[in-house]
Amino acid sequence: MAKIVVVTSGKGGVGKTTTSASFATGLALKGFKTVVIDFDVGLRNLDLVMGCERRVVYDFINVIHNEANLHQALIKDKQCENLYVLAASQTRDKDALTQEGVGRVLAELANMGFEYIVCDSPAGIETGALMAMHYADEALVVTNPEVSSVRDSDRILGMLGSKTQRAIEGKEPVKEHLLITRYNPNRVEDGQMLSLEDIHDILRIGLIGVIPESETVLQASNEGLPAIHKEGSDVSEAYKDLVDRFLGHERPLRFVEAVKPGFFKRLFGGR
Amino acid sequence: MSSAAPGSTAHLFEVKSAQLQLVTLLLKSTHLNEVANELQQRYGNNPDFFAGDPLLIDLSALRDSEESVEWSFLLPLLRRYHLVPVAVKGGSPRQMQSALQAGLAQGDEATYARAEAAGQAVLRAAAAPVPEPELLPALIVDKPLRSGQQVYARGRDLVVLAMVNPGAEVIADGHIHVFAPLRGKAIAGARGYTDARIFAASLEAELISIAGVYRTSDKPLPANVQGRPAQVRLQAGPDGEKLVLEPIN
Repeated sequence: MAKIVVVTSGKGGVGKTTTSASFATGLALKGFKTVVIDFDVGLRNLDLVMGCERRVVYDFINVIHNEANLHQALIKDKQCENLYVLAASQTRDKDALTQEGVGRVLAELANMGFEYIVCDSPAGIETGALMAMHYADEALVVTNPEVSSVRDSDRILGMLGSKTQRAIEGKEPVKEHLLITRYNPNRVEDGQMLSLEDIHDILRIGLIGVIPESETVLQASNEGLPAIHKEGSDVSEAYKDLVDRFLGHERPLRFVEAVKPGFFKRLFGGR
Repeated sequence: MSSAAPGSTAHLFEVKSAQLQLVTLLLKSTHLNEVANELQQRYGNNPDFFAGDPLLIDLSALRDSEESVEWSFLLPLLRRYHLVPVAVKGGSPRQMQSALQAGLAQGDEATYARAEAAGQAVLRAAAAPVPEPELLPALIVDKPLRSGQQVYARGRDLVVLAMVNPGAEVIADGHIHVFAPLRGKAIAGARGYTDARIFAASLEAELISIAGVYRTSDKPLPANVQGRPAQVRLQAGPDGEKLVLEPIN
């Protein structure tokens, strides 16, 4: 049984694509046959973050419109044995996504033996986001520690609970997980960012991970490498924890305590 | 298909007296474009708000001006908001005549069905026995209401057992009870019931309104109710009605 996981947030720029790339990579590294699909038709990014942009010939929209088959459109990841990417079209818009077409492609992927299908949702609450979440079994709700992001995540949670196939058919609801990204404990302590407690108080869903704010993320996307591959970095470790928790293992929360800058750092103003 | 057998004296209809609950629109202007704009502003986001309510149009505010009402514009406008205009009252003879021609009934004996506690009760008791209104049990919501979600308890109370988040709206024609933090908008007595109240286990609302009298969080809630169990009710005073916020316990 393939499990469909949507990575969503409502708000843009919070780290959905970064998370989709690292999360899918993490699952594949654990040996699961995984595909990650870019639903951001017209503004595709996932292929860049995954470093496969030059190998996109056919895309998700081509498959939906029967202009290509899945074998032609699936791009095999270079680093990871079990990982495939289905890129979005850059020339079309979200209206090219049809519910029936998306459903057909997801069913076909499941038949091909994929164990996890990760759907990278576009920002917003329109067609693209609705299509990305429609068939989801579980959802990673990516939230930054700031008020507007929390508000938008709240809105998305409402839609997960009412607009998805599981909600409409009255089945067991989509399993919702809160992932906080760009968390900076020092700025939380200064009152510049919302704390984990503040966020949980509004959203009240289970916290599955905290990804610290880090320059590694930017470096990794510029290199076209999912951040989880940046061995030894906080971000990589945090994404590995996320994958472990998603697979049912207990992992203590890391990178959530404020670190006081050391004496020399304060003296020389290092970062 | 059933049809009356020939020769039998089947009664194909009966005429009975009936009563109808109406919504009243007190029209204050004959500048209907402006009325249309205000309707759009107030209900444009919520076109199903009225859901086919029969409507009485009150012209008493226009009676003295003797201005004529453009019915051919007003009636389709109201129907667009799913109101069903059935009658007029309070207009000048000329205004009433034109309404009759537009197909509206004369509703002058209709009185406001505003539940003014004592007076109304006496009136009811004196009148012929009115059938008990059927009990509409409260609408119960046990899931969190998140930003962008809205619940309307039409003609009844609303009980919410989970949080109402910022950006969510709870609306009831009766009381609203929230047994969790109330952080969104709460609109009780949405159709003018002035005795409606709002109860919250933790009052942190963005907006509270009872029978149209409202207060936003722009003006911070008093410290004795903010984030605490509290109730909100409407109190009539010398300078109109105002919201009273009180802690519970």
